[in-house]
Amino acid sequence: MTLTATQRSTLPGRHLWQAPEFTLAVIAVAGFAALAVATGGNLLSAGTLGAFFRFLAVPIVIGLSQMVVLAVGQMNLSVGALTGFCAMAAAWLMLEAGLPAPLAVLAALLLGLLVGVTNGFLVVLTRINGFIVTLATMTIIQGLRYGVNGPDTFQGYSPGLRAFGRASILGLPAVFLVALAVAALVALFFSRTVPGRHLLASGGSPFAARLSGISNDRSLIVAHGLSGLLAGVAAVLTVAASGSVNATIGDDLLLPSFAAPIIGGVALTGGMVSVTGTLLAAFLVRLVDVMQAQFGINPRWVDLIIGAVVLGAVLLGTVRSKLQERSD
Amino acid sequence: MLVAENLVKTFPGVRALDGVSLSLRPGSVHALLGENGAGKSTLVKLLTGVYRPDGGRITLDGEERHFAGPLDAQRAGIGVVHQERNLIPAFSVAENIVLHHLPSRGGRLDKRRMRAEAVRCLELLEVDLDPDIPVSRLSVAQAQLVEIAKALSLDTKVLLLDEPTASLTGDEADRLYTVVRRLRDAGHAVALVSHKLEEVFAVADTVTVLRDGRSVAQDAPLTGYTQAQVVDLMVGRAFASIALPDRTVDGEVTPALQLSDVSTALGHRGISLTVRPGEILGLYGLVGAGRSELAKAVLGLERITSGTVRIHGRPARIRTVGEALHRYRIGYVTEDRKGEGLFLDQPVSRNIAVTVWRRLARAGLVRDRSERELAGTYADRLGIRISSPRQPAGQLSGGNQQKVSLAKWLAAECDILIVDEPTVGIDVRTKAAFHELIAGLAADGLALLLISSDLPETVGLADRIAVMNGLRIVGELANDHDYPRMSQQIIRLIHAAETVSAA
Repeated sequence: MTLTATQRSTLPGRHLWQAPEFTLAVIAVAGFAALAVATGGNLLSAGTLGAFFRFLAVPIVIGLSQMVVLAVGQMNLSVGALTGFCAMAAAWLMLEAGLPAPLAVLAALLLGLLVGVTNGFLVVLTRINGFIVTLATMTIIQGLRYGVNGPDTFQGYSPGLRAFGRASILGLPAVFLVALAVAALVALFFSRTVPGRHLLASGGSPFAARLSGISNDRSLIVAHGLSGLLAGVAAVLTVAASGSVNATIGDDLLLPSFAAPIIGGVALTGGMVSVTGTLLAAFLVRLVDVMQAQFGINPRWVDLIIGAVVLGAVLLGTVRSKLQERSD
Repeated sequence: MLVAENLVKTFPGVRALDGVSLSLRPGSVHALLGENGAGKSTLVKLLTGVYRPDGGRITLDGEERHFAGPLDAQRAGIGVVHQERNLIPAFSVAENIVLHHLPSRGGRLDKRRMRAEAVRCLELLEVDLDPDIPVSRLSVAQAQLVEIAKALSLDTKVLLLDEPTASLTGDEADRLYTVVRRLRDAGHAVALVSHKLEEVFAVADTVTVLRDGRSVAQDAPLTGYTQAQVVDLMVGRAFASIALPDRTVDGEVTPALQLSDVSTALGHRGISLTVRPGEILGLYGLVGAGRSELAKAVLGLERITSGTVRIHGRPARIRTVGEALHRYRIGYVTEDRKGEGLFLDQPVSRNIAVTVWRRLARAGLVRDRSERELAGTYADRLGIRISSPRQPAGQLSGGNQQKVSLAKWLAAECDILIVDEPTVGIDVRTKAAFHELIAGLAADGLALLLISSDLPETVGLADRIAVMNGLRIVGELANDHDYPRMSQQIIRLIHAAETVSAA
């Protein structure tokens, strides 16, 4: 099981270079090389390169968090707020409640899972679209987040956790490796496990899934629960990598959470996911970020660029599926 | 006059129409008859610009026409009322009638002209409807009249009606046909698609009968036929019993599936039927008789309000398809294979293994290889033609898709199979192979409930035939495979039931 395995149904006779992920990989490599040259090799210095990958970890996990709900044709607007909330909770547990770091980490993960499962149950029980349900929970969580510590910043928690956030293994930041491992598990979940396949079946055709004995309700709850759990993972990585936490954390994660899977070729209608695509797209978004920092571009332009690329990716996806239909 | 000559329309795997001609004359009602899947709706859609023909030509008043789309056809003077509702409930009657060509003045909706046009269309029908109330407040019959008024806007000369009375009561249908006669007398050409033969004989002047995409009667005066003769034309005299494996049903053995006096929340009342292992029970009825809905009630998708369901003699309360599948081993091959039967963009292997992932999993993980092996087994057994188990199900022909849709239940080792309209939209040759397959499954000891509105198929395959009409079983017949006799008995049962319910 490697990260290159995606759940895209591979058409016979389709070659690697025809896969959308291949295009993304080429753009990623070319973009990285171009930026390395443009910065006079500065990008490749140990410090810059480390920071590049360290701050790629959260966008990857948050993109996956969005991807698992997209798999069932839903959206989760609360991923960013939830990441911030779990991060605040973990910091509070360590600093105010005096919990040891491993327990605080576990608590943050469970909190994410719990909120996610709640989202799932609300969607199933009320039959209200997940977009609206998670919009509501996002707003509630944002309020709660300020409730934890007001506008103040938590810092000076667990030296061990912060050391882990700065640690590198074989030249790659530990948090980035954790994100890759999580991505591998998510890929395994969708390609090999029964619940993962049920998710894709429910997303691909809820009617056919129901008539095959699959519970679409369960798929929705599992998807939202997993999305929440991944937001919890993103929170832990944030706490470890950034060294301090305040109530604004997570506010800027909503657009990236959609950008990664959508640019990565995940279908908004559900039934098809691509872990590789999501990883590569998160990498590209990170490149744009670094470019902005290197050249002192107004941060607003970054949002504009990413927004435009997301829109372009959606249009491209539509055109692609139209073309495919025509050739069938 | 609208004339179609040698129209051909092919869909992937199926030749839906194979050289069909007909002409619709002003001042005349033309009936278009045929069984389900004979090509009636395809023909209607070709004539109204929904589809483009692959061959042949369409002329309107002597001039050849190529319609770019439905609106183009309507502008040319061809209006249609499709089987499905096409009104916007929240809009007013007038807005719905004029929807596709709302008049404007200076960029703003010209309400006065809109209303005037709507009133003109309603007056053509001589019906008294307030053009300003929303369609959601109308009865089904009134909404149907609005559909016709809508089809008549833009100076329509040719009107096509596809099953216009399917959801109307007898009285409402009579009133609708009064309107149809009025339009005919006013010089419109009307084409009528309906499976209600009595209505057709009461209103139509000429008839074209389609069977398997070809016309077996073309532009013939209806007075030359009796209803029985038309039925024969529709289903085909040449029907020979399908060469099927010999099998005998043990009448003593415990029924695999038994419904006793079952009523459902959808309105089925007092349904009793029995299917034994190795037996095929045909459940025949017209579209809308409530057969698929009954099947879904057995699977737990619709609520059963009273009566008992027994599986292998034991009372069963089935709440979900999962339960029906994993606990009672009941499979349901849906009539809507594209919508409900298959994951079209997923590989064939997944479509077959979807019911058995739990069994295939080792340590919680399903291997693609075990899935592909399973798919290969069933592809061989059922003769599914695939280039690779990885091929998406959506790329297969109709017949092969249907086999995939069946294979997933065989993979799950179901011993009770409900097969719903198994050969709709499948070409004749594949149909025969499929019939053999179904009979083979019964010979292997499976209990089969065959839901079909295809008479030759039902008479050819079933051991007994239960006839359903209006959410009730109106009779059950032992099948002696004598087609002319069986088909007449069945049709008589349905007509008797229609007469009773209309009275």
